[in-house]
Amino acid sequence: MKISLSWLKEFVPYEGAAQDLGDLLTRAGLEVGSIETRGADFPKVVVAQILESNPHPNADRLSVCKVDDGSGEPRQIVCGAKNYKVGDKVPLALPGAVLPGNFKIKSGKLRGVESDGMMCSAKELNLAEDAQGLLILSPDLKTGTPISEVFPPETVLEIEITPNRPDWLSHAGVAREVAANTNLPATSPNPGIAPTREDAAVARIEDATACPFYSVRRISGVKIGPSPEWLRRRLESIGLRSINNVVDVTNYVMMELGQPLHAFDAAKIAGGIIVRRAMAGEKFLALDGREYELRSADLVIADSGRAVALAGVMGGEDSGVTETTTDLLLESALFDPPTVRATARALDLHSDSSYRFERGVDPAGVLLASARAVELILEVAGGVAEETVVVAGALPPLEWTVELAYSRCRDLLGVGISNDRVNAALAKLGLDKVSGDDAKSVWKIPSGRADLTRDVDLIEEVVRLVGIESIPSRLVGAPTLATRADATYDDAMHVRRSLRDLGFSEARTSTLVSRASHSAYPLMELRNPLGEEQSALRPTLLTGLLAAVERNLNFGATSVRLFEVGRVFSASQEEQVDRVALVMTGERVAKSWRDSGDESFDFFDMKGVVQSLVRSATFHHVSREPFALAVEVKVGDASAGFVGQISPSAARAMNARGPVIAAELRLDLLEAADQVREFVPIPKFPAVTRDFAVVVPRDMAFGTIEAAVHAAQEPLLAGMQVFDVFADDTGAKLPADRKSLAFSLTFRSPERTLTAEEVTAACDRLKAGLRSQLGVDFRE
Amino acid sequence: MEAQIEALRAEALAAISAAKDARELDAVRVKYMGRAGAIPLLSEGMRNVPKEDKARVGKALNALRTDVTAALESAVQAIADAADNAALADIDVTLPGIAPAQGSIHPLTQLLDRAVRIFRRMGFALADGPDIETEWHCFDALNTPPHHPARNEQDTFYLPDGRLLRTHTSTVQIRTMETQSPPVRIIAPGAAYRRDEVDATHLAQFTQMEGLYVAEKVSVADLKGTLEFFLRELFGENTKIRFRPHFFPFTEPSFEIDIQTPATGGKWMELAGCGMVDPAVFQQICDRRGDEVYHPDKVSGFAFGFGLDRLAMNLIGIPDIRMLVENDLRFLRQF
Repeated sequence: MKISLSWLKEFVPYEGAAQDLGDLLTRAGLEVGSIETRGADFPKVVVAQILESNPHPNADRLSVCKVDDGSGEPRQIVCGAKNYKVGDKVPLALPGAVLPGNFKIKSGKLRGVESDGMMCSAKELNLAEDAQGLLILSPDLKTGTPISEVFPPETVLEIEITPNRPDWLSHAGVAREVAANTNLPATSPNPGIAPTREDAAVARIEDATACPFYSVRRISGVKIGPSPEWLRRRLESIGLRSINNVVDVTNYVMMELGQPLHAFDAAKIAGGIIVRRAMAGEKFLALDGREYELRSADLVIADSGRAVALAGVMGGEDSGVTETTTDLLLESALFDPPTVRATARALDLHSDSSYRFERGVDPAGVLLASARAVELILEVAGGVAEETVVVAGALPPLEWTVELAYSRCRDLLGVGISNDRVNAALAKLGLDKVSGDDAKSVWKIPSGRADLTRDVDLIEEVVRLVGIESIPSRLVGAPTLATRADATYDDAMHVRRSLRDLGFSEARTSTLVSRASHSAYPLMELRNPLGEEQSALRPTLLTGLLAAVERNLNFGATSVRLFEVGRVFSASQEEQVDRVALVMTGERVAKSWRDSGDESFDFFDMKGVVQSLVRSATFHHVSREPFALAVEVKVGDASAGFVGQISPSAARAMNARGPVIAAELRLDLLEAADQVREFVPIPKFPAVTRDFAVVVPRDMAFGTIEAAVHAAQEPLLAGMQVFDVFADDTGAKLPADRKSLAFSLTFRSPERTLTAEEVTAACDRLKAGLRSQLGVDFRE
Repeated sequence: MEAQIEALRAEALAAISAAKDARELDAVRVKYMGRAGAIPLLSEGMRNVPKEDKARVGKALNALRTDVTAALESAVQAIADAADNAALADIDVTLPGIAPAQGSIHPLTQLLDRAVRIFRRMGFALADGPDIETEWHCFDALNTPPHHPARNEQDTFYLPDGRLLRTHTSTVQIRTMETQSPPVRIIAPGAAYRRDEVDATHLAQFTQMEGLYVAEKVSVADLKGTLEFFLRELFGENTKIRFRPHFFPFTEPSFEIDIQTPATGGKWMELAGCGMVDPAVFQQICDRRGDEVYHPDKVSGFAFGFGLDRLAMNLIGIPDIRMLVENDLRFLRQF
C-alpha cells in the first residue's frame, strides 16, 4: 500500500525525516519497501522568464540570456540549451541553490562571460529520468515563484501490510500507529454522523451472513466534473487514477479511513436496493468493461431488475456515476470477508475494495466514512444530502474485552517488564483498561482491532511497542537425545562424503517430473500441476540425473560422475522413500600429459562403488526398462536397488562416448555412518596362495564357480580372487564357445603354518568337486 | 706369487674404475671373480706356495678378494646411483600435478550442513516429516484460517486424494509434537513446494529449515538468544541482526529476522520468520493427542523457519537461483 507523507501528516504531526519514519514503521511491523520522493524541493530555484537571448561571443554552442527572476532586476545567464524561445518561462537555479548530486550553483564566468545562475532541465531537478533542453513551464506562472510550489514535493512510502492488520490499510490507521510509537497525538476526520432510519423499500438485505450491515445515503443535485487540484494530486500521488469528483471522493475516503464506498447514479437504480446472492449464471457487466458470469455464491447489490454491483468488489458499468449524473446513492456497508474473497478469486477480479473487505473493515467506520464522503462530495460537487442514512441489518459488537495476566506477559517475553510499562504500551494503542489489579488487567479493545482477542495478542502488542531490543537474549536448554532423523541425516551426509571422495559431484534435481516420461511407474500425480513437465512426483532420481549427464556431455564434459540423495514417491505401500542415485560415464582417468584418457568407465566401476556403499550387497541379473543391462542389489532378502547400464544406442543419443552406468539405492540399507564394528584378529600365520585356470562354457558365470567353491566349505580356504578372464571369438586360442577364467585361492590356518601337502590336498578336493559338479576343465 | 697378487689387484681395480655401466662391470666381475676368473685361478697357485709362506700369501690373496669385491660393490652402487640420479633429474617438475578425481558436495547441502552443525552444538536434534502431507498438518494444525489464500489451488500443489505437497517445513513441528512429549528441541531441514512459476529468484521446490523448542517457560528471550547465536556463527561475529514484528498464523508474537553482513552487500536481507508458538497450535496438538502435555498454560515455545536457496544464492553470489538445480559440473565443482 502507498502512503503519502503529506496526507499522513494531516493526522499526525510527524516532522522527522521520511527515512526515519520508514525505520519507525518497519520496526513497528509495517515493512517499508521503498520511499519515493517526487516533486522539486529545491530552495533558491524559481520560475524565471527569458527576456532576450544573444549568441555567446566566444562559444558557438552557448547563448547569453537576460532573464526576469521576479526580483525586478534582469539577470544574465549563459545557457547551452536550444529548445526555448524568448518569452518562455523556465526553472532558474540562483547562486546558492543545490541541485541533485550536490551540484552547487555559483556565479562565475563561462568562456569569459558572466553567468549568474543556471536554467534547468527536468532531469537536473530530478523531475524526469532523461530530458533534453530546458524544462519549459506554464506561461501562467508568476516569475519568482519557488519551484517547490510548482512541483510540490511529495514523499510516498510503499508499505507491506500483514493480513492481520486491516486497520493499517488507510492513512488514518497508519497515523495512529505513528502516534503510538512517537507520543504524538493522532487525529482523524470527525464529520457529524447523520441519523439513521430503516426503510426496506430503499434498502434491504436478503443474506445477513454475507452482508451484516448496509447503508445508503441519497445526495441530490450534484454537478459531476473533474476533481479539484488537491484531490486529483492526492490520488495520483498514491497511484490512483482520477475519474471524476464523486468517484474520486469515494476513493479518497477509502484511502483516508479504510472503508470502501460506492456511489450509484440514482437515476439508474430501479426501485430499492436489495443485497442478495446472485442467480447461477447471472450476467454482470462490471466497471472494468468486462462481463462476468456469476455463481450462486456471489453476493450482489441489485435493484428490482438486475445486479448493479458485485458486493465489495466492483460496481456495475451501467449504474455508475457519469457526467450526466445528478443524484447519487452512496453505499457504505460491511461484507463478509470469505464471501468477498471467494468472489474476487473465482472471477479473478481484485480491487482496492475487495482487498480491504477480504481482510475485514472496522464496523465503527461504516457510517463515519459515509458521513465523511458526503461532506467532501458536497464540497467538490455541490448538491444536497438527504438528512437521514437508510440502513439495513445490524452492526456487530463494536467493543469487547481481553484479560491479561502480567506474569504471563513477563514469562512469555522473558523480561521483567513492569505492570506500568505494559499498561502504558497498551494504552498508547487506544486500548482502555476497564479493571485490574497487580496480577491482571482487563482491556476494552477498539472495534477495528479484530486481531486482539487473547492475552498473547496483547503481549504481541506490548513487545511491538517496547521493542524486542529491550528483551535480553538467553541461551539455555538441555541437549536432546538423537532421533532416527539424526541417524538418517548422518547416513546421508556420510554417503555424500564417500561419493565425493570417489569423484562424484552432488546434483539436485526437481522432485516434480513429467507424467508422460514415467508412465511405467505407479505414479503419484498432482491434481493442479503447472504443466506436464511438472505433473508428477518423481518415482526415480535417475531421470533427472541422466538429463544432467546429457546436459554436461553437451557442454563438453569428458567424464561425468553425478549423484543425488533425495526422496522418491510411488503410489504403493511405501509412498516416500529416500534414495541415493549415481551415474557415471566417460574417462575413467582424466586425459593428461601422463594418461591417455582412453579408458572409459564400465559396469564394474559402478559395481565397485556400490559395493563400497553396501558391503554386504549381492547382485542378481534382472531386466529393467530402459536399461540394456541391469542387476538388482540385495541386502539379505531385501531389495536395496539396482545397477544398470543404458543401451549403447541410448548412450550415443545422449552424446556419450562410452558406457553410461547408473545405480539407485535405498538410503536406509546403505552402510550406516556410525556403527560399531567388531575386531577380527589379524592373521598370525602366513597364507598360501595357489593359482588355477579353468576352461568353461562362455555362459557359465564366475559367480557359479565361486558359489561352488564356497559351498565346498573347505576349512582352510580363506579367499578367492579372479585375476583373468579370457575368451576368443575367432576360436584361434580357445574354442569360441568357451572361456578361460584364472583365479587364485588363498589358504590359511589361524593356528599354524600350513604344509604344502595339506594345501595340495585341499586344492585336489576342490578341483574334483568343480569337475564333477560343473564339468569344469582345469588347465594345468 | 705376491708380485702377481699385487699386479692383479692393480689390473682389476683399474678395470673396475674403467667400467662405464652395469654390463661392463659385470664382465669385469666375471673376468676377475667368476668361477674361472683370474683371482680364483691365482688362488689355485696356493698349492705351490712353501708351507712357511702359506699364511702370509693366503692373507694377501684374501685381501685381494676383499678389496676387489668391495671395489665392485661400490662401483655397482655408484653406477646405480648415477642412473637413478639421471632418471630423477629428467623429471620436469613444472609439469602439472595429477590429483585423484575429487567430486563435490552441492553448495546448498554444504550450507545446510553448516546450519545443522551449529544447531546441534546448541543441543538440537533432527526431525523429519513427509513431503506429501495432509491439509490438517500443513494448515489446520498451524492455525491457518479455512479460507486462507495459501490453501488455494493457485498457490499449493494438491494430489487427487486431497493431500498436498507441504508448503513449508512447519508441518514437522506438528508431526514432532504429535508423537513426542515436551520438552522438544528440534530442527527439520527439508523440501517445500509452492505453485510458483520458476524464474531467476523462484523455484517451485525449495529447501527450508524449520526449528522448534517447546518446554516450560520458553520465552522470546530464548528465541532471540538461540537465533542470534546461530546467525553469528553462520555469518560472523559482527553480523547485524534485526527482529521485525510480523504476522504468521502459527506464532504470536511473530517476527521476521533481517541480517546485515558483507555477504548481503551491506544491506538488510530478510532471512527468516519466527515467533512464539500460538496457543491455538498447542490446542490443536492437545486435541489430536488426547492429552494435555502441550496445554498452553503448561508449556510455551518458539518456532522458526528459513529458506536455504535464496540464502545460498546470496552467500555464494550467483545471479540466478536456477543455477542451483541445473547441475552443471562447471558450477558444482567450484564448491
